[in-house]
Amino acid sequence: MNSIMAGGVDVGAAAVKAAIVRTDNEGSDELLATHVERIRRRDPKVVINDTWQAALEKAGVRHGDVEYIATTGDGELVTFRRGHFYSMTTHARGAKFLIPDTTLVLDAGALHARSIHIDHRAKPLGYRMTSQCASGSGQFLENIARYLGVGLDEVGELSLKSRNPEMVSSICAVLSETDVINMVSRGIATADILKGIHLSMAGRFARLIRSLSDVGKLTFTGGLSADVGLVAATREELDKEGVEIEVRSHPQSIFAGAIGAGLWGAFRHAKLLAKTA
Amino acid sequence: MTRTTAELMAFAEDLYYDLDFKSVKRWKVKTGGHAIGFMPVYAPREIVHAAGAMPVGIVGAGDWLEVIRGDAYYQSYLCHIPRSTIDMAESGRLDFLEGMLFPSTCDVIRNLSGMWQIVKPDMYTRYVDVPQNFTDGVGGQFWAHELRTLAQELGERTGTEVTDERLRASIALFNENRRAVCDLYSLRRDEPARAPTSEVYLMVRAGLVMDVEDHTALIREYITAARNITPPELDNARVIVVGAFCEQPPIGLIKSIERSGCFVVDDDLILISRWFTDNAAETGDPIEALALAFVHDSVPTAVMYSAKAGRGKAVVERVRVARAEGVIFAAPSFCTPALLDQPMLVAELDREGIPYTAFKFAENAGQFQPIREQTGTFADTMKLWSVA
Repeated sequence: MNSIMAGGVDVGAAAVKAAIVRTDNEGSDELLATHVERIRRRDPKVVINDTWQAALEKAGVRHGDVEYIATTGDGELVTFRRGHFYSMTTHARGAKFLIPDTTLVLDAGALHARSIHIDHRAKPLGYRMTSQCASGSGQFLENIARYLGVGLDEVGELSLKSRNPEMVSSICAVLSETDVINMVSRGIATADILKGIHLSMAGRFARLIRSLSDVGKLTFTGGLSADVGLVAATREELDKEGVEIEVRSHPQSIFAGAIGAGLWGAFRHAKLLAKTA
Repeated sequence: MTRTTAELMAFAEDLYYDLDFKSVKRWKVKTGGHAIGFMPVYAPREIVHAAGAMPVGIVGAGDWLEVIRGDAYYQSYLCHIPRSTIDMAESGRLDFLEGMLFPSTCDVIRNLSGMWQIVKPDMYTRYVDVPQNFTDGVGGQFWAHELRTLAQELGERTGTEVTDERLRASIALFNENRRAVCDLYSLRRDEPARAPTSEVYLMVRAGLVMDVEDHTALIREYITAARNITPPELDNARVIVVGAFCEQPPIGLIKSIERSGCFVVDDDLILISRWFTDNAAETGDPIEALALAFVHDSVPTAVMYSAKAGRGKAVVERVRVARAEGVIFAAPSFCTPALLDQPMLVAELDREGIPYTAFKFAENAGQFQPIREQTGTFADTMKLWSVA
């Protein structure tokens, strides 16, 4: 089968991620380029175009060379899309591409977290998701980092250095933020505060994961997958509960949605070609 | 000058959000005509029109009216449309109406007709008991009698006698309107990216508060404008939406279904705009023509008895005609006709191997993420895992 070049654009609440892939839809999948841009306070449509152009440049290809562009997340903002897939479907496929023996996925982003149980084809079999509550979300962590005067990219490493984690008294994001302010005034070390927050979030993640399975190989995806402290805390929480779940992340995990969208787009493109042949 | 689809949408959106019915009030001032309201699903608009009145569709208050008084009249578990309708009546928003028709859609609407007589004792109120027997000599005869009575009562109220000539002219106008709406539905079925349902819905719904001839012109104008755009090339799953024939979903819900990767290629929203599957006769006795059109050519729907149990097959046929890949059952919470019908329809879809998903909504729903999740995964299932 001929290889197909496809693109995926994952429009999240905090960042836009793009990926360009090439696949023959028979197991030979190649990731050509990825790019991420934080939205901050910019027009999301401008960020989408900038992100896509940067991904094209990194891949050394032109827009017209990409045969199918699929979106995930708030994809309706992407005017040049051909198809759209739901984020659970794309994160499952992206995780499977990054770590092929994946059976469980934890997609943790700016606004919510979701655990997904998948089969060997990356088809979601079941999922659990956090509710509207902000705790357990990337936005919550970003707020905490701001209070502590720590950059988001420093949070993970700092948390790993904690010797005596200070647990927050509530899972409620609003109350936890008050807790953190009190901790700062009590002189608690930043690393211990962050580790306490990570463990609180990880406890929620562990419940999401365990409601699907007590056994499996889990891949962390979404914006929070780059937070090594949070990944470690999730591993700790699951180990503490004695379940046989191996927790991994991948350097490209934050692109899982975009990669999955691209790969499913290529799959869909082949399907449409076969229909019209 | 021809308006663009965006300009036409802005016009239709103004009507959609206007709970003061300013378009109808302006029409009344301009023409000196009357306004007669009607609830879903079917009311004989031709007779209202022939009596010199505008038939005004009252389909609840959507998600932009906080219901306060209406909750005192109905149990909290019932559907939302009766409480928001009563609330509009209690707040004086419907005082511009000279009358109100309540079709025999369900027990709740029937009950609402009783409530109405308490809330609006001076307003002409009529329970329109549509037949559930579809033979000419029984249901047809009964319905013709009902229509004659309605025509006489409305004529007395408005001062405009419903003559045969006037009624034939009205039938012709509504036939033309239905043809225009059906043409719009065909355009959407064939090129859904050109005429998305979030636009088609508002265009069709505008007809509930417009003069019929103006609405026909509006639909024709939209079709022309839509044919002039360059639509995006989208690879969406084709679905039909079933169950929202009475209480209407908020526009945000329709947009959410589309944003999740679906083309809605057929639906039963604002069903009265396409109630007859063929034209009512424009010659002969016009009352007979309307009665026979009702018993012969009514669209199959949950509020109509079907001795042949053919509604499941009718949905399958709609899927086939629309070249749909699946069905989304979207019924208002506690909509007994839609929800009691659903198992029969589902059984037929199961037999035919047609995928479906189902959820319930209320007209004032404001949170669409769970629905978007459900329809998004449903669309992915059809696009990625179906054998077709």
